[in-house]
Amino acid sequence: MFEREPNIDIVFRNGLKNLEVLPPADVWDNIPPMPVRQSRLRIISGIAAGVATLVSLSLLATWYVRNNSTPVLLSEVTAPGNGQGDMSLDIAGTAPVTRPAEAKVISFTGQEAPSETAILSDSQTTADIPSELTAPAELPEQDVLPGEPVQLFTDDVTIVNAGRFERSEENLKTTVPDLKGGKAEQRFLLGASLSPAMGFSRSGEDARLAELINSEKSRPAYTTGVSVAYRISDRLSIQSGLGLSSIGQTISDVAVYAGLSDYYSVKSSYLYSVETASGLILAGNTDLYLTDTKDRVGTLIPGNMADPSKYRLTQVGSDIRQVFRYLELPVLLRYKLIDRKVGLNVSGGVAYGLLVGNSAFTGEGSDLIRVGHTEGVNSFNLSSQLGLGMEYNITKKIIFNLEPVFRYYVTPLSDISGSLYKPYSVGFSSGFFVKF
Amino acid sequence: MAKDRDIIDGCLSGSRRDQELLYRRYSPKLYAVCLQYAGNTEEARDVLQEGFIKIFENLSHFSHEGSFEGWMRRIIVNTALERYRNRYYLNRVDDIDDVTEPEAEPDTDDFAGLEAFDLLNMVMELPPKYRMVFNLYAIEGYSHKEVGEMLGISEGTSKSNLSRAREILQKKVMILTGVTKRMVNV
Repeated sequence: MFEREPNIDIVFRNGLKNLEVLPPADVWDNIPPMPVRQSRLRIISGIAAGVATLVSLSLLATWYVRNNSTPVLLSEVTAPGNGQGDMSLDIAGTAPVTRPAEAKVISFTGQEAPSETAILSDSQTTADIPSELTAPAELPEQDVLPGEPVQLFTDDVTIVNAGRFERSEENLKTTVPDLKGGKAEQRFLLGASLSPAMGFSRSGEDARLAELINSEKSRPAYTTGVSVAYRISDRLSIQSGLGLSSIGQTISDVAVYAGLSDYYSVKSSYLYSVETASGLILAGNTDLYLTDTKDRVGTLIPGNMADPSKYRLTQVGSDIRQVFRYLELPVLLRYKLIDRKVGLNVSGGVAYGLLVGNSAFTGEGSDLIRVGHTEGVNSFNLSSQLGLGMEYNITKKIIFNLEPVFRYYVTPLSDISGSLYKPYSVGFSSGFFVKF
Repeated sequence: MAKDRDIIDGCLSGSRRDQELLYRRYSPKLYAVCLQYAGNTEEARDVLQEGFIKIFENLSHFSHEGSFEGWMRRIIVNTALERYRNRYYLNRVDDIDDVTEPEAEPDTDDFAGLEAFDLLNMVMELPPKYRMVFNLYAIEGYSHKEVGEMLGISEGTSKSNLSRAREILQKKVMILTGVTKRMVNV
């Protein structure tokens, strides 16, 4: 049976169908940015960065443990004037030695790896070892009674490095200071580098961001700093250090006039703002009048009261330059593909950046005028980098390195809600390293 | 004017501007829905805010097959229902099964002088349980069975509440338009 719908239902339904009521203004402010759907590339980059960091930290920890807990080097020492003479010895001079001692093997803390040591028997001492090793060491004379401690000094000790026993006589004998100095291996490299680069940007799917990026030009970027590298093996090394990097954009076609403060006085911290891909430039310099044709400039001045045609304003610039400076801590792994005088290596890793400079300028040449700063730039960022470099061994100790480097910012440069402005750069890193 | 699809894609890629564009475009309509269900501006404001957060959180699940506005409206209505259930469920009155239809009903012509805001105010002034049933049944078009399931009441209570809501609204309409009792022959 057909049931007739009451008129009142129809009236209310039709009457309310297209009703619109403006919500309170603060509702939008309380709606947080929606979570960003992460692209596969971003996820992979994140995982790669994480793995690189973990590997780097693990290697660093391994190296640290290895170099700070090696306890013992076994050697043989002969005491002066004592043909039977093996003694127990602490190389740091803290433990006394008793004479005559029963032990044939002495142990001490040193830089040499345990694998390169051995315990020599009596027969080896007399038969296999060259006579210079079995000869009494030249120790200072001391008035020591049998059974009493003997003070020995590190410079006076002859150490047999059994791991290299068969190679040459040079390797059979060395002194403690030599071992401590790492005569055989120069695992550390200290260097300074400079990496000029050219930045690029990608806008993703954000139409407005693309529009903004199109009206901006990347400024030449550079990174400079000091580096310390540690050779984990002949081919693999880990590198870190401290650097300063600078990146920025030129916001073109923004006319900047000076002299506004003569006509317009305000208490506001800024009068004009400029929308950019990396944030909102707030013109803290309230003497400036800004205008453009691309709907990027906003102002707190009502009704365009500061029309330059009405006032005597002087044009001081036709663009604005943003400059961001970061203090960077890179962690890189470098692998030698070709290990010769002119070598080839590949490197990769991450760099953590702390924003230390954020400014916007206009003007030409030396007549730079500070406009203000960019609001919304992240204080920290994480970038990943990949390089393929040429290495030239100038001397045994000095290396020159030159490598093209691709750098990609894993985290967005700006924290403008939802903006995924992540520049990348291609440049050349060049620097000198000294082995020690 | 940007298409909904482009705005949705922008939102999904993280563009706050597109999220704001979406909000500005649809919030007036959806706020009106919130007012219908909430009964006061404070509650409506909270429903709108909570509803939009859910819309953004679930935007990737929208399949582009149906009406986008309808999809958002359902989220807003569900948000309002959820808040209603949390607030009134424990205090609900017992089911009432005696359904009484109003004896007289004004003709559609009698509503001619009423503005949409008058209608909205009348709905907002309904007691919550009547308002919810009237909105779900008369405005959204759900059946009494569905309304009962949504509100956790019986089908009979839904009918009873609807009847009572209509009765109240008719009285208000008559008072507002000056219509005296006029019998409608069905």
